[in-house]
Amino acid sequence: MPIPRLFPLPRSRGGGSRWGFTPWATLWLLLLGAVPLLRLIAEALSGTALAAALTDPAVWRAAGRSLTISLAAAALATAIGAALTAALLLREAPARRTLIFLAVLPALVPAQIMALGWIQAGGPASPLLLALDLAPPIGTPNPVYGPAGMIALLGVQGAPLVMLALAAVLRRVPGETVLAARGLGATPGMALRRAVWPLLVPGLLAGAGLAYVAALGNFGVGALLGIPARYTVLPVLLWQRLSSGGAASLAQAAALAVILAAMAAPALALQAVAARRVPSAGRSAFAPLPLGPARWPVAALILLYLLVALGIPMAALTVAALVPATGVEISLATATMRHFAAALAPGAHAIAAFANSLLLSLGAAAILAAASLPVALAMRARAVRAASAGTDLPYALPGACTGVAAILVVLSLPGGGALYGTLGLILFAYLTRFQALALRPVAAAAARLDPTLDDAARGMGAGAWRRLTRVHLPPLAPALAAGAILVALTAVNEVTVSSLLYGPGTQTLGVLVFGLQESGQNPLAAAVSLLALGVMAALMGAATLAARRLPAGTLPWRP
Amino acid sequence: MRRRSFGVGMAGLTAATLARPALGQADVSGPLVVYTSQLEPDAAGTVEAFRRRHPGVTVEWIRGGTGQIMTRLRAEIAAGAPRPDVLLLADSLTFEALKGEGRLRASPEVVTTGIPAEHLDAGRAYFGTKLITTGIMHHQRAPFAPRRWEDLLGPRARNQVAMPSPAVSGAAAIHLLTIAQNPALGWSYIERLVGNGVQARGGNGPVMQAVAGAERAFGIAIDYLPIREAARGAPVRFVFPEDGVSAITEPAAILSTVRNVPAAVAFVNFLLSREGQELASRQGFLPADPEVASPPGFPEPRSIRVMPFDAARAAREQEETLRRFAALVGG
Repeated sequence: MPIPRLFPLPRSRGGGSRWGFTPWATLWLLLLGAVPLLRLIAEALSGTALAAALTDPAVWRAAGRSLTISLAAAALATAIGAALTAALLLREAPARRTLIFLAVLPALVPAQIMALGWIQAGGPASPLLLALDLAPPIGTPNPVYGPAGMIALLGVQGAPLVMLALAAVLRRVPGETVLAARGLGATPGMALRRAVWPLLVPGLLAGAGLAYVAALGNFGVGALLGIPARYTVLPVLLWQRLSSGGAASLAQAAALAVILAAMAAPALALQAVAARRVPSAGRSAFAPLPLGPARWPVAALILLYLLVALGIPMAALTVAALVPATGVEISLATATMRHFAAALAPGAHAIAAFANSLLLSLGAAAILAAASLPVALAMRARAVRAASAGTDLPYALPGACTGVAAILVVLSLPGGGALYGTLGLILFAYLTRFQALALRPVAAAAARLDPTLDDAARGMGAGAWRRLTRVHLPPLAPALAAGAILVALTAVNEVTVSSLLYGPGTQTLGVLVFGLQESGQNPLAAAVSLLALGVMAALMGAATLAARRLPAGTLPWRP
Repeated sequence: MRRRSFGVGMAGLTAATLARPALGQADVSGPLVVYTSQLEPDAAGTVEAFRRRHPGVTVEWIRGGTGQIMTRLRAEIAAGAPRPDVLLLADSLTFEALKGEGRLRASPEVVTTGIPAEHLDAGRAYFGTKLITTGIMHHQRAPFAPRRWEDLLGPRARNQVAMPSPAVSGAAAIHLLTIAQNPALGWSYIERLVGNGVQARGGNGPVMQAVAGAERAFGIAIDYLPIREAARGAPVRFVFPEDGVSAITEPAAILSTVRNVPAAVAFVNFLLSREGQELASRQGFLPADPEVASPPGFPEPRSIRVMPFDAARAAREQEETLRRFAALVGG
């Protein structure tokens, strides 16, 4: 799940090459950005794969379904995100900080886990519906399966992206705007409607674009809710084609990835346009306005939404993990920890999957943070800025594009076939996909560094390495940590990329949960999901502690 | 299972790692790659029991429906790099095809003491490890309890029957071929079943979930899943139809491209050994070795009627039958 950031691009200040890292930074960024993308495009354009895909009715059907789902989900996400912003960011709702934290959570809970929760909550065997005597009769399909369920889930998951994009713009809205409007006699509501919301439009557009691309590229929801309803979306079709094997499948997957990228392109353009229209910050920051007598009903409404969006699926997931077998009613007598024990039993895939996911996410976070330091310092050079645009794309585009591109790059290396199905391949794909995420906070912080500091150190005879570790690292460390945290959190439950790349012994958590659910092991899938959420919560807790001094908006749950 | 007392969890893991291999098995070591269609906990249990016996071997394994595993293997063979050493898949037809292509290693050194000859390939290329039958399962709240295959054709079973897709499940493929060969049922039965709204999707696990989750009242499924889950309280029952079940033997085989022969042989030996057969029984499977007791919940093995099955004919008709079925259900 991409997390929106609208950091301004660092401006050039002074000469470029004197930093000394320019060639390495350019090379690194090209390797992770432009090279995989160009390899993907070359594969799709060579041969007849793209032409064949464009005449394949199954591809058109899947693309049409993906478009429908993503547009509807983006619209829903925009509506919910705007409503949450109006109530929580523009106004002083009671328990505001807690509610903001809870409102951001749906984007942090991995989509496939949320989908599992909803599957358990709906249907004729739903423990919740059975307890309420509302369970549909036997033989009724689960209402969560199919397009409506997918749109609702992706919309709820996209809403925080919209809210965070709005929050990023709101930080730059001058507080004077409201003062001026109030001075002219506007009520608080009018001031927000007439003066603030027009300035927030770029955030709304960027958020809608983010939600659209996130929905478009989502594999977990498409697979778990779409496959049982025979409603195949494009990322699922790509996964099916790639796992159906054969020499031609890679070219086919590349063609589908390029189609997916083309479908995402308008939304990326929308985000770029929106980013240019962000207001320039005023002297004082915007302060939320009091809500008045409406504050309790508003808070209750938000709580109700959070209860439905988060509480119900999480409760259903917990129940599903505790019942001895699907279909058994939960009670103190029937509840069992058996599935947790099975998940953690020696030899089970879960332990290996936890180890793989932690290794991959923490490894990618460490490598990307380390690389971001010299790259961010070299951002003043035009070549580095251009190369960094190449790494923005693998992050913004649907994950399947990165996955296929990584396979192609590795297979075209001599002896690269040995990497196929290994953790090395997945790590390379993660580096490609998340470099932009790690770099942005560091680049923003580096742009604020005073260049005279470097000059002084240089004058005293300090070499490049010494300047890097002694002069630049200390002030940039919080930003490096922030980037690393975002990468680790995003990568630890990643499923779209790893579902295309895993092999024996290299299953990730996301792949394992999907595989368990697909093979009908719902209680075990629920248990592993809850354990995965525990790991995420621990990471988030550690990040919150480590990042207390970071500026607002660095951690997504503290906008 | 001598080291069972070490229990589960990290303590058991550490203890098993530190435990010294039993005498005479010290030579078995190194990596072993297994592709299996067993469900996740069963595969994990089997691998872990083997690893306790042979701590020097690191087993990497992957699970999927037989169809999915075969797709993966075919792709690897096409790329010139088949990864698995051992296959443990549902049905003998898959292995017959691989054997015909020279992909299986004849392994006369495998110890087959307690396993009846009818479960073994005469050329010792693959070895049946258990008996898995396909019958009818139903939800407790189902409108009636079926007793014969025809019961699934009635109006009360309309749109209420789930079955695994024969493209995914090897057991389902054998079941379909067995039904098609049965003169009393045949293609007309399959056509009427599809006409009555049977839903074919995924493997046996999803069918189990669909019936336990009351999305469907009846399921055509392998025996051990519903029997095992019913023992845990799931609201399902399994019926061995009066007119017979279809059966598979879940064979294991060593690929001709095997990289670790001693470990691969040891793995197959383990599956066929008394210990391996008792493990299968504890996991809820009918063991291939008749001397090993059936798991609780199963009827007396001799009372189960198995429909006749002509394997040679099935091998010839498999592709056409599966294609015809896919066209029938519109998949």
